[in-house]
Amino acid sequence: MNPIRTIFLTEIGKGLWLTLRKMFSRPVTVQYPEERKPVAPGFRGRHALVRDPETGRERCIGCLRCAKVCPSRCIYIETERDPETKRMVVKRYEVEVLRCVFCGYCEEVCPVNAIVLTEFYEYVGYRREDLYFDKERLLANWDEFLTTQKRPYFNPYWKPRGVPEKMLPAPKRKAEGV
Amino acid sequence: MAPTLELYTRKIGHPEWEEPFVVNMGPQHPSTHGVLRLYLELDGETVVRCDPRIGYLHRGLEKLSENMTYTQAMVLTDRLDYISSAANNTGYCLAVEKLLGLEVPRRARLLRTIVCEMARISSHLLWLATHALDIGAMTVFLYCFRDREWLLDIYEKICGARLTVSYPRIGGVRLDFTSEIIDELYQFTEEFPTRITDYETLIDVNRIWLRRTKGIAVVPPEKALNMGLTGPSLRGSGVPYDVRKFRPYDAYDEVEFEVPVGKNGDTYDRYRVRMEEMRQANRIIRQCLDKLAQTEGEPVVAEGAPDLLMPEKKKAPRAVPHPKKGFMVKGEEVPVVPEGEVYVSIEAPKGELGYYIVSDGSGKPWRVRVRAPSFVHISAIPEMVKGHMVADIIAVIGTLDVVLGECDR
Ligand code: SF4
Ligand code: SF4
Repeated sequence: MNPIRTIFLTEIGKGLWLTLRKMFSRPVTVQYPEERKPVAPGFRGRHALVRDPETGRERCIGCLRCAKVCPSRCIYIETERDPETKRMVVKRYEVEVLRCVFCGYCEEVCPVNAIVLTEFYEYVGYRREDLYFDKERLLANWDEFLTTQKRPYFNPYWKPRGVPEKMLPAPKRKAEGV
Repeated sequence: MAPTLELYTRKIGHPEWEEPFVVNMGPQHPSTHGVLRLYLELDGETVVRCDPRIGYLHRGLEKLSENMTYTQAMVLTDRLDYISSAANNTGYCLAVEKLLGLEVPRRARLLRTIVCEMARISSHLLWLATHALDIGAMTVFLYCFRDREWLLDIYEKICGARLTVSYPRIGGVRLDFTSEIIDELYQFTEEFPTRITDYETLIDVNRIWLRRTKGIAVVPPEKALNMGLTGPSLRGSGVPYDVRKFRPYDAYDEVEFEVPVGKNGDTYDRYRVRMEEMRQANRIIRQCLDKLAQTEGEPVVAEGAPDLLMPEKKKAPRAVPHPKKGFMVKGEEVPVVPEGEVYVSIEAPKGELGYYIVSDGSGKPWRVRVRAPSFVHISAIPEMVKGHMVADIIAVIGTLDVVLGECDR
């Protein structure tokens, strides 16, 4: 080691000078519960089922694609045929969030953009049932989420940027915000 | 008869009878970077024998992926080395693409190179932070986390997740960058070199840092090769082996960068190599960003890339049409992914990360084997700590930069 440096502690002085300078720079700490960082659009957080503004029901058509693509197999869907209108309706739609890995495959694969991972990340529960979302809960999540969003809301995964149109299913190509 | 005092003292003094002092370091030790447990036999404070015991974070990822389709299994690779998940994804996707014979579009290759290098910077920042904290420098820890946060924010803007990104996909990437992300990355690459200089001001010539790192765990080049070290740990010993140069993947053959090497092979040299690598990674990101402008508007997914919803089995249309239903009736089963086996390795931040995949023609991999650098590096710990003090074990674990998620898988 250089003797001048050893005697005069120059390297330590330089380090201290740096930390002293940083003391007068703008702090980067976010005081979390009081302040929040803005969440980027398309953040993969709590699940929600999109409520169709026209019918007031869920948009989901029960095609089971999301249940099939899900790597952790945490989506359960049951469909039945409505005896009056003879259309398939979703009877049960449940997401076990504790098993979800938040990959976003479900929202990307859904042909009618019915499921979305919202930007809401603060959800905890004391029991497992609190984090087992059924259809009503998922729709309520959507209503809660929409109040915080600018309309029309559009998720980037609904129509991924840069993916050629011919690779997308037809309803996704002309997808619009809600 | 109970042993007499005389016999007892004779036993203690006798080298064959003397029991070594055994210490279990970990699995909850804060400096073992996860759940590494080291079984140590000590003579005073000197390590006589060290025996790593691993497996506390075993989740069976290789076996799990046999029950998933190729696209689903990519999500698991996020959890290997959770600090640099984008690099793991890329390696896996490259392996499957080779199996499928896919040509990835240029824009997707550039985007992947950018996220890989971002993963390298963020991994090295976390390494520097924890390594410095273990050795006793608190300020560097805080500064590194401040800058890593910025990178994680950019990740969040790119793909919506901060740590387990799942950003690449087989045949390209999942989303294109927006212009704001590119602007922010330009800003980051502009500013980051000065940040590295700041860390260096703090510890590069600091006498405590030098005493704790110079001459600790020296690995000569031949020994490093024999122990199977890769990545910065090998380059610190002066062997310029880098997969990015030897077998370029993605866009690494388009960009210019240097491979920093050390001289003495001690902890300090490995530190220097990683610091230099961060600068080079910054340079690579910068060049890729410049090239991105040339490919504006191009697709980011290859033609013929498998859908996210991959079938497990596929039937081809009939060669001879069905008399009534025409070509709609499916005939013979055809392979979803061609049969065969591939090995693809990439330069992950920790070292050479390899994927060996065997396909039996269905949509699920028959076998996935991950060659994880951390696993090999942990096997080098006993050699490297022999004869050192207990406090130096922390420095050795830090300098090898092991992540147990990757080691135990
Ligand atoms: S985000 Fe991924 S793991 Fe979670 S429900 Fe959707 S597909 Fe399943
Ligand atoms: S993919 Fe979409 S439409 Fe199909 S079941 Fe899932 S949420 Fe419903």
